Amino acid sequence: MKSTPPSEPHLADIARSALAGARAGAGQTLAGWPVLLGRAVFYVLLLTVLTALWDKVSTEHLPGGLAGALPRQGLTLYVGVTEWVALSIPAIHLRLEDDIRGGALEAWLLRPKSYLVQRVAEACGGMVVRLAATGVAALLFLAASGRAWPPLEVLGLLVVVGPLAGVIGVLLLTLAGLSAFWARRTLPVMLVIQKMLFLLGGLFAPITLYPTWLARLGAFSPFAAHLYYPAVLTLQTAAGPGLRDMALAALASQIAWTLLLGGLIAVIWRAGVARVLRGEI
Amino acid sequence: MPPVISVQALRKDFRYPRQGKGVAAAVRGVFAPDYQTVHAVDGISLQIGEAERVAIIGPNGAGKSTTLKMLSGVLEPSGGTATVFGLTPWRQRSALAYRIGVVFGQRSQLWAELPVRASFDLLGHIYDQRGPDAVARREDLIARFDLGPLLGQPVGRLSLGQRMRCEIAAALLHGPDLLFLDEPTIGLDITAKAAIRDFITQNAAGAGQTVVLTSHDTRDIELVCDRVIVINQGRIVVDQPTEQLRRQFLAHKLVTLHAPGRTVTLDLPGVTRRASEPHLAVFEIDTRLVRVEHAVAAALEGGGIEDITIEDPPMEEVIREIYASV
Repeated sequence: MKSTPPSEPHLADIARSALAGARAGAGQTLAGWPVLLGRAVFYVLLLTVLTALWDKVSTEHLPGGLAGALPRQGLTLYVGVTEWVALSIPAIHLRLEDDIRGGALEAWLLRPKSYLVQRVAEACGGMVVRLAATGVAALLFLAASGRAWPPLEVLGLLVVVGPLAGVIGVLLLTLAGLSAFWARRTLPVMLVIQKMLFLLGGLFAPITLYPTWLARLGAFSPFAAHLYYPAVLTLQTAAGPGLRDMALAALASQIAWTLLLGGLIAVIWRAGVARVLRGEI
Repeated sequence: MPPVISVQALRKDFRYPRQGKGVAAAVRGVFAPDYQTVHAVDGISLQIGEAERVAIIGPNGAGKSTTLKMLSGVLEPSGGTATVFGLTPWRQRSALAYRIGVVFGQRSQLWAELPVRASFDLLGHIYDQRGPDAVARREDLIARFDLGPLLGQPVGRLSLGQRMRCEIAAALLHGPDLLFLDEPTIGLDITAKAAIRDFITQNAAGAGQTVVLTSHDTRDIELVCDRVIVINQGRIVVDQPTEQLRRQFLAHKLVTLHAPGRTVTLDLPGVTRRASEPHLAVFEIDTRLVRVEHAVAAALEGGGIEDITIEDPPMEEVIREIYASV
């Protein structure tokens, strides 16, 4: 006998389905291992160039307080972490653009589970695999180049704040992707987000090197929660109250921005789906 | 028994800004847009009962897909009411999703990068398919659609016919009571079309499933459905059993004969010449008067035939004929 179908999906079923989506995303990324390998090689090349640049900067005499603000060994580890996170975010905005503008979203809306939760879960699954691959590449680079490793406590913290930073990255790109409900292309919004990551996220240098007002603005932005906060942990040379305070600040910022971005995405998603249901797209 | 689908005076209007010519019109369009309203569905009422297999047909832009979208819940109507299993589709989409299966012929619902098996697994989670019933249904579909050899292949690498078999099986994985099929055989070759029609018919008959199908292929309608609803300009113009429609409107075939000689002839009762060119002629066969194979055999007996094409009349032509008759 056929069981009675549920009237609405239960929370546990939604979580189970999202977990399956994350596993599928991870599986897809692993299946494309040549791309994964290429990404890791590109990451190592990037590290080689950027660390050489920052090594040179740190040995030059810089005016004012800027020289004092830089770590003695340059910003190798800092840049390594920002690139580690930035390179691990799947292009979910393009997937959303395709689905929304190409009409595939309608087929998804006929399923009992949220399209957006599934797609974000798939992207997060892919992001974790990429983080793992580029993470291993970073450790190999450090070993091969003979550079100082961060303390073990910092490595342990990165295992937590790295994926959280990745989630914020996925959510930022999701915001860009949702712009497809109103615009044909997501590229303009994506360009704004990329510039913000550069300016306020501390992609190439810690935001503490910026003018005070800009540093403050950056510190309270999701872009810093995505890149600056995880990366700045590596500037700590030893475990202690300084590292603990930074780690707490990083976690607080990341959790707060995950919730805020999640809420914002939910509101924009509802407005966008309402447009689809009215036949305006 | 209450109907599975009940529709009363359903309407859908689309509003588009009219594009003027020149810069002045473009500027005016920003501040005071001039809208044009299109009545895609214009007051449709119908009822579909359990285990009925219904074709909704009509020319391009008639309102078939818009109707299907409203009935499945992805489009809100501008007016009227509709219930599917007692639920209002566009307000109770999630609840309805567990009870319907949808196949879009021109759009894949599977994950192109994932193997078929992984796509089925993911759909199992999305529809909360657990337990022995779900496993048995999945195994049955894999066997019936002969999907065993395809399970390990990424969906993106399947042929159109293989993919369509997987799409239909995927739409049936959660055991829906109602199946919406939008152009399920579009682009398929004759063998694949026949297989898909057989699958749909056998599955629906076995499971007591209601099927609502849109298609431009008259064979889909004849072989799969027992009732036909013809929509034109957003309104129902015909709603009758397929058998009755077949007798009235689907009793013709178009046979094209190619020959090396300049003229091609075929003189039989029930055969009418529709078009002629040097070395080619198109004949309309009235299948109530003469069987297609007899007409073809007669043409071959005359000798000198190089090529033969047998086609159904274009759907637009059938619809025109239906429309002219009402």
